[in-house]
Amino acid sequence: MKNKFSRRFVLKGAGGAVLGLPLLEGLLPRVAHAQQTPAPRFAVFMRQANGVAQASGSEPERFWPRELGAVTQSSLSSLDADRAVSELSAYASKLLLVRGLKFNFPGNGCGHSGGGNQCLTAQRVSQSPSGNRSLAMGESVDNRIARELNPGGRDPLTLYAGRQSGYIDEVLSYRGSMDLRPAENNPLNAYMRITELSSADAATRERIAKARLSVNDLVREQMNALRANARLSAADRQRLDLHFESVRDLEVQLSCSLSEIQVSEMQAMSSGEAYRDGANLVKVARMQADLIALAFSCGYTHSATLQIGDGNDGTEYTIDGVKQPRYHWISHRIFADGSNGDPIPDAAQKHHQIDRLHAQMFRHLLDRLSTHGLLDSTAAVWCNDLAHGVSHSYSNIPFVIAGSCGGYLKTGQYVDVREGGQYVAHNKLFNTILNAVGCKKSDGSPVDDFGDASLPRGELAALKA
Amino acid sequence: MRFLLAGLVVTVIGAGCFGDSDLSSTGSGGVRSDRKDVPPPDCGGACDTPAPAARFARLTHLQWENSVRELLRLDGPTGLSDQFTGDTLGGIFDTHTGALKIGSTLWSDYQRAAEELALRATLNADAVSRLLPVDAPEATDARARAFVESFGQRAFRRPLTADEVSRFMSLFELGPALTGVTDPMVGGARITVQAMLQSPFFLYRTELSDVVVEDAIPLNGYEVAQRLSYALWNSMPDEALFAAAASGSLSTREGVAEQALRMMADPRAREMLSRFHHQLFDLDTVRAVQRDPAKYPGTSSQLGAYLEKETALFVDEVVATQRSNLSTLLTSPTTFVNQELATLYGLDLAGGSDFQKVELPADQRSGLLTRLGFLAAYAHGPDSDPIRRGVFVNLRVLCADLPPPPDNVQPLPNETTGTMRERVTAHTGAGTCGAGCHSGLINPAGFAFEHFDGLGRYRTEDNGLPVNAADTYTLKDGTSISWSDAQAFSQSLARSRQVHRCYAQHWAEYLFGRNELAEDERLVERLTEASMEGAPVQDIVLEVVTSRSFLTRSAAEEGS
Repeated sequence: MKNKFSRRFVLKGAGGAVLGLPLLEGLLPRVAHAQQTPAPRFAVFMRQANGVAQASGSEPERFWPRELGAVTQSSLSSLDADRAVSELSAYASKLLLVRGLKFNFPGNGCGHSGGGNQCLTAQRVSQSPSGNRSLAMGESVDNRIARELNPGGRDPLTLYAGRQSGYIDEVLSYRGSMDLRPAENNPLNAYMRITELSSADAATRERIAKARLSVNDLVREQMNALRANARLSAADRQRLDLHFESVRDLEVQLSCSLSEIQVSEMQAMSSGEAYRDGANLVKVARMQADLIALAFSCGYTHSATLQIGDGNDGTEYTIDGVKQPRYHWISHRIFADGSNGDPIPDAAQKHHQIDRLHAQMFRHLLDRLSTHGLLDSTAAVWCNDLAHGVSHSYSNIPFVIAGSCGGYLKTGQYVDVREGGQYVAHNKLFNTILNAVGCKKSDGSPVDDFGDASLPRGELAALKA
Repeated sequence: MRFLLAGLVVTVIGAGCFGDSDLSSTGSGGVRSDRKDVPPPDCGGACDTPAPAARFARLTHLQWENSVRELLRLDGPTGLSDQFTGDTLGGIFDTHTGALKIGSTLWSDYQRAAEELALRATLNADAVSRLLPVDAPEATDARARAFVESFGQRAFRRPLTADEVSRFMSLFELGPALTGVTDPMVGGARITVQAMLQSPFFLYRTELSDVVVEDAIPLNGYEVAQRLSYALWNSMPDEALFAAAASGSLSTREGVAEQALRMMADPRAREMLSRFHHQLFDLDTVRAVQRDPAKYPGTSSQLGAYLEKETALFVDEVVATQRSNLSTLLTSPTTFVNQELATLYGLDLAGGSDFQKVELPADQRSGLLTRLGFLAAYAHGPDSDPIRRGVFVNLRVLCADLPPPPDNVQPLPNETTGTMRERVTAHTGAGTCGAGCHSGLINPAGFAFEHFDGLGRYRTEDNGLPVNAADTYTLKDGTSISWSDAQAFSQSLARSRQVHRCYAQHWAEYLFGRNELAEDERLVERLTEASMEGAPVQDIVLEVVTSRSFLTRSAAEEGS
């Protein structure tokens, strides 16, 4: 019962202020009034797989703008209209396009898995397990943000759109070393979690909260008795600690819901597990983006991830009404996952069209964040776990950021962050974003050391306003 | 049953075969100085050594679903586990305890499900009575205690301690206040069910025994009972198994064997056998098979589902109905087809559209690896795909040590001449960068199936040239097997020690819920020998769950 009073009745207001409230008062559905603190800030990461159709080998540039420097609506919609990022021209002034970053560590037998491991962690790739089962050796940036900023230590929102193949499924969110968090691929399930009880009346919420508190207290006693056993193995201890920290008391939530039409669409998608069908991927991705904006606006979480497709995305995307070969095959430019297959005609151009499709999904997310008035408080990041499909390279991983995250980031520009012509480890990007959302090191100083300890420290100055 | 329970002369679990007559002289945890390092050969399962394992193995979502159904005496599954956040991939099998964790999202899911189920199960006094023993007392306080004790024992799969009973009684009494229900039995039962379904003692198979006997910790009867029930049934123990635990009969291997045999005859065990093979042979991938009906006349959009069903029916026939063995899985010409599959096999099927048991031509088909499901799942389009077929056989049937492919594999040259075999050989065979893995391991195992096109249809020519499926494969022990076609290859596999060992290892991994460890060697070797001699699959399972490895915990993990 050590944590009984520190965990109970504490809630974080919308501004991040910690308020100690007496029991029932704290559970009433009213807005917790923040003190004079900055508006909350958020980060969301949308991952595309298989690299992008950027210049590589004999293939020309189809992704980035032509010129570094200012990015404007007119530059993107005219001169650079043939580039995938032109899909975001409406948000030109909010964009921060970053080239010159790399994943620092080699994969371990499977480029896709190793890229997915590093994508949001900037950590090494495990030696065992290896290949398509490899794991990251440390926590991901969304986890760090949630751990520091989320009310009651709630998980980051971890979402997924599309089919799961069983080869490499979710890759993004890590609680810690080799501790991969499952992603939710059914929007309805995620919606029910975010909006739980928000429509109940005050008396009902109060009663449910009281009952939960009694149950949670009892469960914590049981968990503590188990954890007190000095002879547990490290793995068992870690398992119980994670569980114990996950037992949460009801926090106050703002009234939080989507329209009936949106909910009924999610119900339809849930029925018969239609959300698992790759043919519904884009629809599911849009629903998940709606949920991310909703979750931010309700104070449910400060960080979220949205993974598009499986580890080496094998979705058969539809372009101009025509169903294409599996995206992974397109990224290899042949009709196969490996080496044995006929060339796919116009494969690089098809890859470019799929890049545009991802840009459109990202744009939908930006639309929703804007609707909720959150885009300027957010760093929305469209990232990838490879630079380019055919080469499986980790150099020049594309990072497309939208939103200044409360004025911290300098938007409306396309920058190359290479130093002396050398690619820069992408942990520096995460240092920058962590400071932008308001994370701190344990001594209260700015974050400069996210990722593997061997990586260079500090932020990316070119990104800061 | 030719090998089950060898070595039963030594009966006390935990004592191993090193002598159990004078444990008192060494004391609990003592190690006899005169113990032999090598167990006698006839010792069997009594001498196996347990490997470190989770003491808190979380129920899989299937096990949770089955358990609440049984616990609350429901007619069907609740479906609530469909809303749970999924688990990450821990390996081939969903029982892998390393991936079974409770983070805050799953915690909320459990909480919501517990509240909903508690409500459903305690709608009124009659509903509560259905969860009570028939002879429960009528007086409220005694009735409440009976509820806490009897429901608690089934939820935690062991009797509650006196402290636990009094703690839950306190909660029960708060029931009306916490639930808003005036009936004290209904309100009390509701909050109690809600709490017990969120308890670590329900959500995990907790194993708290900690007295070391020789080098292992014997599990108590209730811990053994839940290991058995979740391994064999993916559900909680039934009344008979609880009774066996209470009586102490699960402290001997004979007692365990009696229960395991009984349980193996239950439909839930049949489901488990099917589920193991579904995961081992990756029938999800088989179900995902799609072919364009315009290009493949006679196929439908249901093709993948049919192929999955064919394989599942075949496995069930061999393993459950015939009580047969791995060799039969690899060599039997029997299968089950409907009209669509019959056509692809080149058979004339008399009668309706339902699946029927048929015999395939023995000169074309032999066992699971010559079935349409495997052959089509590991190929694309019209052509055979020796590499993907070969990789699957190496990893899942032979447990070969294949390193992952390099990142930058170059595609096959776009040639239309020659056979697939010739093209693959030129690209990956001897003298190429792929020689190490391909020429000795992947390619031969894939070439064996060159008589089958990308859909698994039999052929004698590829691209106008005669098919060559003959090859040689070098086993881990340095010996090699050679064959002329897929039938002969399958027959060779069925005689190969490496294949039986691979299968035995997979069973151990599935039933223990972890990867194979060094301590498993003795058990897995014994299973291998038995499987080679033709032991039924069901006996392999029984041997594992009656072994000392299954009935004790390792003492080595303490303090680690």
